[in-house]
Amino acid sequence: MRVRLIRDVLDNQLLDVADCYAGKVDGIVLELRPGEPTRVRYIEVGPITLLRRLNRRLGDWYARIDARLGKGRGVPIRIPISRVTLDSPSLRLDLAVEKLPVMALERWLEKHIVAKIPWS
Amino acid sequence: MKRLLSVALGIVTSIAGFLEIGSITTATQAGADFHYQLVWAVLLGTICIALLVEMSGRFAAVSKHTIADAMRERFGLHFFMVPLVLVFFVSLLVLAAEIGGASIAIEFVTGASRVVWALPVGLLAWGLVWYGTFSIIENGVTLLGLITIAFLVAALQLGPNWHALGHGLVPTLPNKQPAHYWFIAVSILGASVSPYLFYFYSAGAIEEKWDATYLASNRVVAGLGMGFGGFLNIAVLVVSALVLAPRGISVEKYQQLPLLLTTPWGRLGLAIFAGALFVTCLGATTEIALALAYQVAQGFGWNWGEDVEPRKDARFSLMYTITLLLATLLVVIGLDPLKLTTLSMALTAASLPVSIVPFLVLMNDKSYLGEHTNGWLGNLSILLVSVLASVVAIVSIPLEIAGGS
Repeated sequence: MRVRLIRDVLDNQLLDVADCYAGKVDGIVLELRPGEPTRVRYIEVGPITLLRRLNRRLGDWYARIDARLGKGRGVPIRIPISRVTLDSPSLRLDLAVEKLPVMALERWLEKHIVAKIPWS
Repeated sequence: MKRLLSVALGIVTSIAGFLEIGSITTATQAGADFHYQLVWAVLLGTICIALLVEMSGRFAAVSKHTIADAMRERFGLHFFMVPLVLVFFVSLLVLAAEIGGASIAIEFVTGASRVVWALPVGLLAWGLVWYGTFSIIENGVTLLGLITIAFLVAALQLGPNWHALGHGLVPTLPNKQPAHYWFIAVSILGASVSPYLFYFYSAGAIEEKWDATYLASNRVVAGLGMGFGGFLNIAVLVVSALVLAPRGISVEKYQQLPLLLTTPWGRLGLAIFAGALFVTCLGATTEIALALAYQVAQGFGWNWGEDVEPRKDARFSLMYTITLLLATLLVVIGLDPLKLTTLSMALTAASLPVSIVPFLVLMNDKSYLGEHTNGWLGNLSILLVSVLASVVAIVSIPLEIAGGS
């Protein structure tokens, strides 16, 4: 199947197994292999990749802040391409988004801010 | 039967939601300074917004995508950021103008300064969005806006010169203050053709799970709802032409706005004017705050939905919270609501091509719309109006600020 990476993958919506929004595809990681065709290894999701696309320094600054939030943070969130299928124009993951750090900011805001507002 | 009811409700809420601080102020200024000469601008703005709202409903119903979502997908991150940032900042000013409008409505009744009321108004709007549902906002708050029919009653009671009104439907060159004339004309267009409306409408269509079977009702709601809404806007202009123009009153302070209804109806008129201004501005405040949060959340692929509990879409909910807070602060620091309104409406007009051209490209993309893409007439008319409005706004804004005519 022929896939146009920029039009069909980059910046398209990601849905998880339960149809929950899992962000947009913010980056694509290719593997260059000598003597063999280039292949897609991962997609990247999240603010670090997104901000680096707009401005490298801004993305690096965000990554440094994100790194303070826990082990394994501060780096782009990578999802192996084997876990992604094309459900045009969206892309579908074969796992629950809650298992990925993609929702870390959402959960942090929920716990530290939204939960403190009465009747929320 | 259920569909028929929802169409009727949609029409009524569109009519009731048409007027807000921008359309009331610009139509009042037009009537006071140029009698019926600018009726054509209201008519043109109404036709444009009816077409755009129909398009955004059609886009969502057929493609199951919202406008912001598709704009990021189709044009990529860098291009998407341009309308996002521009529409966000211009709409933030419009949002502040609406909060200011609701605050001055309470000032008219209580006598206490608008600055005092801005925070309670912002909080009330936030409470409606945070604790309410999409249908409470769309069918509840906006439905109360039917009070604006009072302008139509006043216009008919005062008895317009129908012949002169008919003449106003055709654009003519002004015989005085040309820069001010064109500034008011583009402000009227900016007040009618608000980009936040089509982000709001397409998100609403997804929230209400529209599909292709809704296309006919979408057309009826957009056409009749916006059409009658524009009719009420013309009524405001007519009342202004009959009440303010003969007395030589040019609207320079927001305190002059209630004269529209106090002149024919006295104290009752003041209460009706304040009620209409409060309800319509509150409705617009909730819609704009939601529209901006929709735009950001959909563009970045976050969870979103007015009917989802805030803890399940924390980023989306906090987005409209911050937006409301920023806009409220602009009123609290004492920015003049009248100047804020006219300037934000003219800036909306100036920025129209940036928000509308990518939207039109999407409306012609067969991969989203299949056989339901735009016709050439819709494309051409919207493109022409948005580019012309933008050029005129860019020329007339500095002239108006400099006080030239």
